[in-house]
Amino acid sequence: MFALPRAKSGKPSARDRAGPVPSCLGTALTVTGRLDSDGEVHIHGTVSGRISADSIVLGATCIVEGDMVARQIRVGGRFSGRIFALDVTLDASAHVEGKIFHHNVTVARGAQIIGRMPWRPLNYFDSLEQLPEIQP
Amino acid sequence: MTIFQRTDRTPDKSAEADNAAKPAMRDTPAQPEPAPVIAPRPQSYAQPIAPVSTTAKPQSSTSSQGAPMSSVISKALKITGQLESSEDIQIDGQIDGDVRGVHVKIGNNAKVKGTVYGEEVEVAGTVEGKVEAKKVVLTATAHMSGDVVHQDIRIESGAFVDGHCKPEFGKTAAAKATVVTSPAASRPAAAE
Repeated sequence: MFALPRAKSGKPSARDRAGPVPSCLGTALTVTGRLDSDGEVHIHGTVSGRISADSIVLGATCIVEGDMVARQIRVGGRFSGRIFALDVTLDASAHVEGKIFHHNVTVARGAQIIGRMPWRPLNYFDSLEQLPEIQP
Repeated sequence: MTIFQRTDRTPDKSAEADNAAKPAMRDTPAQPEPAPVIAPRPQSYAQPIAPVSTTAKPQSSTSSQGAPMSSVISKALKITGQLESSEDIQIDGQIDGDVRGVHVKIGNNAKVKGTVYGEEVEVAGTVEGKVEAKKVVLTATAHMSGDVVHQDIRIESGAFVDGHCKPEFGKTAAAKATVVTSPAASRPAAAE
């Protein structure tokens, strides 16, 4: 799904990620469709659709609907849908509806979660070539 | 509150017992519990967790006052779908779909397949589709295949343009406005 070998070889991936500027979708922007990136994506606006990236940061003002696939995801705003990520961080301002498939999760005090947070082993994300169409 | 209190005890005894037990209970599990859970994680997953802290840095640099209004689509990002913004958009990545913004800047290596609407559109990359804007700037590296509807245009030497340039941005809007208003205006007159 997302290149896990890259995650294991720490230093080159860190250099790659530091290189390109992270994409930043401002509060005024509304995107309907699919976002694909191999870098970092910051979202402060409204997105409905699938987002896949190496790392996704949802700001406090965002409203996001759909599926998110990334190595690490940080949520600070409203999200409804499914999250597939190794590392998930939910900030105090997060409001999440749906399922969070994770390997490591951190939830701040005050975060609102409606749904389930199933833990998955590392090889689940490794073998995840296609997202399950029907919610498992 | 009542749901958290035990009802099977008498209030006097339970209050005493709870008061005696609670401080001890709160102190002991609350402090040691996070310690064993959190402590081993940085060791085993030090690499995945570390970048989370670095993500905060670009966020704070892009947004001087909380969340930024304008958007930057970097070269690593590809968007399939529509973009709508009431602020500026800078595109350095790839977009398959329509873009609506105020000041839209299409960077050097950017590629847009679709219509770009805006007040001011600056093209330095590739656009396959229409550009509709009040002010259009095609720089030397621009590769524009499609029509340009504008009010004010600047084309630099070296720009590739394959399409019609029509100075009809304001006119079409005005024409549409008159078309919309004229039947509405004529209908009551006709009815009367």
